[in-house]
Amino acid sequence: MIRFSDVSFTYDGAERPTLVHVDLTVGEGELCVVVGPTGSGKTTLLRAVNGLVPHFTGGRLSGGVTVDGRSTREFPPRELADVVGMVGQNPAASFVTDTVEDELAYTMENLGLAPDVMRRRVEDVLDLLGLHELRDRPLATLSGGQQQRVAIGAVLTASPRVLVLDEPTSALDPAAAEEVLASLTRLVHDLGLTVLLAEHRLERVLPFADSVVLVPGDGSPLVVGPAVEVMADSPVAPPLVDLGRLAGWDPLPLSVRDARRMAGPLRARLDGDRPAAAVPPRGDLAASLTSVSVAYGEVTALDAVDLGFRTGEIVAVMGRNGSGKSTLLSQLAGVRPPSSGRVVVGGTDPVTLAPRELVSRVGLVPQDAGVLLYGESVGEECASADHDTGLEPGTTAAMLERVLPGLPSDRHPRDLSEGQRLALALAVVLAPAPPLLLLDEPTRGLDYPGKARLVRLLAELAGAGHAVVMATHDVELVAQVATRAVVLADGEVVADGPARDVVCHSPVFAPQVAKVLAPDLWLTVDEVRTALLGEPVRG
Amino acid sequence: MADRVRSARVIRLRPRASVLLVVTSMVGVVAFCWPLLLHGTSSTDLAHSGDAPWIFLAVLPLLLAVVLSELAEGSLDAKAIALLGILAACGAALRVPSPGVAGFEPVFFLLIPAGRVLGRGFGFVLGALTIVVSALITGGVGPWLPFQMFGAAWMGFGAGCLPPAKGKAELGLLAAYAAVAGILYGTLLNLWFWPFGAGTTTSFSFVPGAGFAHNLHSFVFFDLTTSLGFDIPRALTNALLVLVLGRPVLNALRRASRRAAFDVPVIHEPATDPAIDPATDPATDPATGPATGPVGAGTP
Repeated sequence: MIRFSDVSFTYDGAERPTLVHVDLTVGEGELCVVVGPTGSGKTTLLRAVNGLVPHFTGGRLSGGVTVDGRSTREFPPRELADVVGMVGQNPAASFVTDTVEDELAYTMENLGLAPDVMRRRVEDVLDLLGLHELRDRPLATLSGGQQQRVAIGAVLTASPRVLVLDEPTSALDPAAAEEVLASLTRLVHDLGLTVLLAEHRLERVLPFADSVVLVPGDGSPLVVGPAVEVMADSPVAPPLVDLGRLAGWDPLPLSVRDARRMAGPLRARLDGDRPAAAVPPRGDLAASLTSVSVAYGEVTALDAVDLGFRTGEIVAVMGRNGSGKSTLLSQLAGVRPPSSGRVVVGGTDPVTLAPRELVSRVGLVPQDAGVLLYGESVGEECASADHDTGLEPGTTAAMLERVLPGLPSDRHPRDLSEGQRLALALAVVLAPAPPLLLLDEPTRGLDYPGKARLVRLLAELAGAGHAVVMATHDVELVAQVATRAVVLADGEVVADGPARDVVCHSPVFAPQVAKVLAPDLWLTVDEVRTALLGEPVRG
Repeated sequence: MADRVRSARVIRLRPRASVLLVVTSMVGVVAFCWPLLLHGTSSTDLAHSGDAPWIFLAVLPLLLAVVLSELAEGSLDAKAIALLGILAACGAALRVPSPGVAGFEPVFFLLIPAGRVLGRGFGFVLGALTIVVSALITGGVGPWLPFQMFGAAWMGFGAGCLPPAKGKAELGLLAAYAAVAGILYGTLLNLWFWPFGAGTTTSFSFVPGAGFAHNLHSFVFFDLTTSLGFDIPRALTNALLVLVLGRPVLNALRRASRRAAFDVPVIHEPATDPAIDPATDPATDPATGPATGPVGAGTP
C-alpha cells in the first residue's frame, strides 16, 4: 500500500539528510507503528507519504514514494487527498469550521463531492467514531479526545485507504489518548484501513501493531519488522518489553495478558525477595491544605480536603478527569482563594503573595505548557525568564540544557513539538528553584528518553529538598518516581499513602510490571533487575 | 539570518507579468492624472473629457484582472493562496470599523508589513484583493473601487521594494513609508474624485482645457482645503501603528513565511546517494549494506 524505495531526503540548507536510504513497505490493512526519539525524522517520514515532503516543505528527495500505486513525484498532495488522510498532534490546529458536522463535510466540499454523497458519508463517519451525539456541538466545546476523533473523522470522510497519524495523542491526557487509540484499532479491524502511526505511548498500541518502524535518528538505518522482532532490541521500549527482555522471554510479550502467562517462573524466582521498602521522607511541612473546599458555581471541585506536603516528597495526585486534581494544584499555586478552608505554602497564604514573590516559592507547570511561553525564540524565552525572576543570565538556559539538551535556541516556541514545549516550560518554572513544584500532567508528549530525564530531574530536586506535587494519569511515571500517591474522586481524597501500596492495589492505577508480577508489590523493571542481579542499577 | 532583511518572493514577477504590471500601472497613472494631463486645445479633446472617467472605469478592472491572473499563473501555490486569503480577510476586517473615524484606517498597517515580508508581487495582489473584499463586506462597491484597488496595490508593491534594513531602522523605514504612502494614496484618490467632487464653479474646480499649471494649482488648493485634514491624521496613525505593532506583525509574518518555505526549491531525483559519501560510510552504501533492518526487512 505504501512503498518507499531507496528514499533519501534533505531539507533545504540542512547539512545532513533527514532520511537516508529508506526502504519500507506497508501492506494493505496493516497497522504500522513508527517509533523513535523526538527529532529523529518520524514526522518527515510520515509527511513523505502524502507528498507534503517535499511538495510543501521544499528540499531534495531522491528515490520514490508510492501510495496505492501513485507516486508522490507525479501526484501533488491535493491529488493524494482521496487516498491518504493525515492527522496531526494538535487537532484544534487543523479545524477550519465551527461545528462537528461542518468540519466532517469540509474535506468533501474541497473534493467536490455531490451533496447526497456527502450527507451519507457524514452519517457513516459519525457512527464509525461514535460522534453522533456531538454532531451539532461547537468544536471549541469538545474535550481533547473528542476533538482528535473529529479530526480523524474529517479525513475519513474522503474515504482514504491510508491513514497517517503523527503522534495523535501527544496533546491529550491519557484517558483521551486511550479513546483515540481505541477508535483507531477499530478502524483497522473493521475497515481494513492501512494505518501508519507515530506514537510515544507504546504500551497502548503495541498489542495492536502488525509492524514497527524504528527510526534511530542518529543516521543509522531504519529497523523495520514485526513488532515482536523490532522490540527485541529497540532502544525505546515500554516497561513490559524491558521486563520481557530481562527475563529472557521468547517470544517477547506485548500485552500484559501474554506476559502474565509467561511470568510464572519469574514470580517463583523472585519469591521471598521484596523490593526495598523506601523510607518515607520526613521533611518539614512545605505546604498544607486544611479542610479546603472549592466550588465553581454549582460544581464542587474540592470537598473539605486535608493534605500536607513535606520537603523531599514527590506526591502523585491521581484520579479521573474532573476529580479535582488541577483545582488542587491551582489552590497550592494561589491562583484563586478557596471557597472555605485554609491554604498555607511556606508559612503564608499564596493568594496574598506578589507575583514575583510567588514564583520563587511555588512553580506551576500547567497542562498546556504553551501558555507560559510568549517569547519569539527559545533563547529569548530563557533570557526573559531570567530577567523576570531576577536570576543570573543563563540560569534558565542551563536548566533547559539539563531538561532537554540540544534544543536550538533560535527556534520559535510555537514551532516546538509538545514534548519540547513542555521541557522549555519546565526549565522556565524550575530555574528560580521554587521549594514547592507543581506539575500538571508532566509527561504529555514526552518520549521515553525525555521521561527518563524528567524522572532523574525530579528525583534530584526531591533530594535537594524540594516538594513536588504532580497531577498525572501516567502510572509508569508514578511507579518510577513518586514516594506518595493521593487519589481524588469527586473532590474528595479517597486514598493517601506510600505510592507502592496505593498503586499496586488498584487495577486502574497499577503499572505494567505490577500487573504482571501481582500479588507481589513490584513497581519497576529496575527493582526487579536489582533483585535478580543483586546490584543497584538505578542511579 | 538572510530572511531578516530580504523579503521572500511569494509571488514571482516573471518577465511577462512584469511588463503587464508596468503597462497597467501606466494606464492607471493616466486614469488618475488625466485631469492634469489634458491639454485642451482641440475641441474634440474637450468634447470627450466627460467620457474619460467612464472609459477608465470600464478599462481598469479588466486590466487589473489581467494582471492578477498573470501574476497568479503558475506561481501561486496553495500556501500563497492561503496566506493571501487570510491576510486579505484580516485587512478587510480592519477596514470595517474604520471609514469616517477621524482618519483611522488601519487597513494599510497590515498591507505594508505584508508587502515588506512577502515581496512586492504579493503586496500588489494583496492590496487589490483587500480592497475588493472589504468593499464586498461594507457594501462599498462603486466607481471608486478600481481606483482604490490601484492605490492599495501600489502601496503594497512599494512596501516590497523598500531597501534592506534591520531592527529599529526597519521599523522607522516602514513607519515613514506608511506616512508618505498614506498621504499619496489620499491625494491620488482626490485626484480621481476632484473633477466631479469640486463642482464646476468654485475657484478650485477642474476646468477642462485650462492647462496643466492652472489645474494643478486648483487641485492642490482642493486637496489642501478638503482632505488634508483627514489624510494627515491617517498617515500619522498608520505610522504610529507600524511603530507600535510593526515588530510583532513582522515577526509573525516572517515566521509564517519561513514555515511555509516559499523560496525553497522542490527537487526530485532518482535514487542516488545523498550528502553522505558511500566510500566513507559503508553502513549507508546501497551496495554493501541495505538500509532496511536486519530482521524482517520490508514486511510484505
